[in-house]
Amino acid sequence: MTALTMYQMVGLFLLSVGFFGLVWRRTLIGMVISLELMINGAGLAVVAAAQLTPANGVTGQIAALFIMGIAAAEATLILAIVLVVVRRFKTSRAGEVSQMKG
Amino acid sequence: MEILAKSAFLLYTLVIVTGSVMAVSARGLVRALLGLMGVMIGVAGMYLLMAAPFVAFMQVLIYVGGVGVLIFFAIMLTRAEAHGDESGPGHVRSILNALLALLAPGVILSVVILNHPPASISEPADVGVFGLGKGMLEPYLLPFELISIILFVAMAGAVLVAWRRWGEK
Repeated sequence: MTALTMYQMVGLFLLSVGFFGLVWRRTLIGMVISLELMINGAGLAVVAAAQLTPANGVTGQIAALFIMGIAAAEATLILAIVLVVVRRFKTSRAGEVSQMKG
Repeated sequence: MEILAKSAFLLYTLVIVTGSVMAVSARGLVRALLGLMGVMIGVAGMYLLMAAPFVAFMQVLIYVGGVGVLIFFAIMLTRAEAHGDESGPGHVRSILNALLALLAPGVILSVVILNHPPASISEPADVGVFGLGKGMLEPYLLPFELISIILFVAMAGAVLVAWRRWGEK
């Protein structure tokens, strides 16, 4: 196994486990935590693909930094929405939040 | 040095595996968050191993320091019970669905990766902070500026969404 393959397998592991958690978790915040796992795996795979091949390393590292910025923005928005949902429905369980009428 | 790098990789892999299993299976959300932070630190270690120290420090700063604390605040503000929200036996169907979600990308992508291994160099080169700054200010200037707009819009939107009192007409 080459070095790139090993890093990609770790990234793939994070993606699979995050997907598992996204389906299995019942609270919205548990789902956000699983989502962050998947994003970490994506960043790891991108940096590995840039650093361990003859490709330009700058591009991959900047891509990883952009992924982090977008992940931070996304986490902020998701958590604001979760706060509103909890205030409105008094629970953060995804199964019980099924009414769409405002 | 080869042995040292491999044992460091093994250590980080162990941290990542333990943390991610904890993040998806812990009953309490705070423990799940601790697992997530472990994963983030392990990934930062892997960035260091790949000769990308700036990305590793940003990972610790943004993820462990920023996103981790943000999720912790969310757990606190939604008044999640320490071991209440995720407890109770799950449906057989939801466990089956979750296992399918675990296996589908895992099996397909690992077959692809293992059967078509791309050429890899064993010693990555460090481009340095200078190279990264030059890259951000010359070819990637527009995405760099757009990221700041996205962050501002996300922050303003989060304040706006959470400020309005829903339910009071």
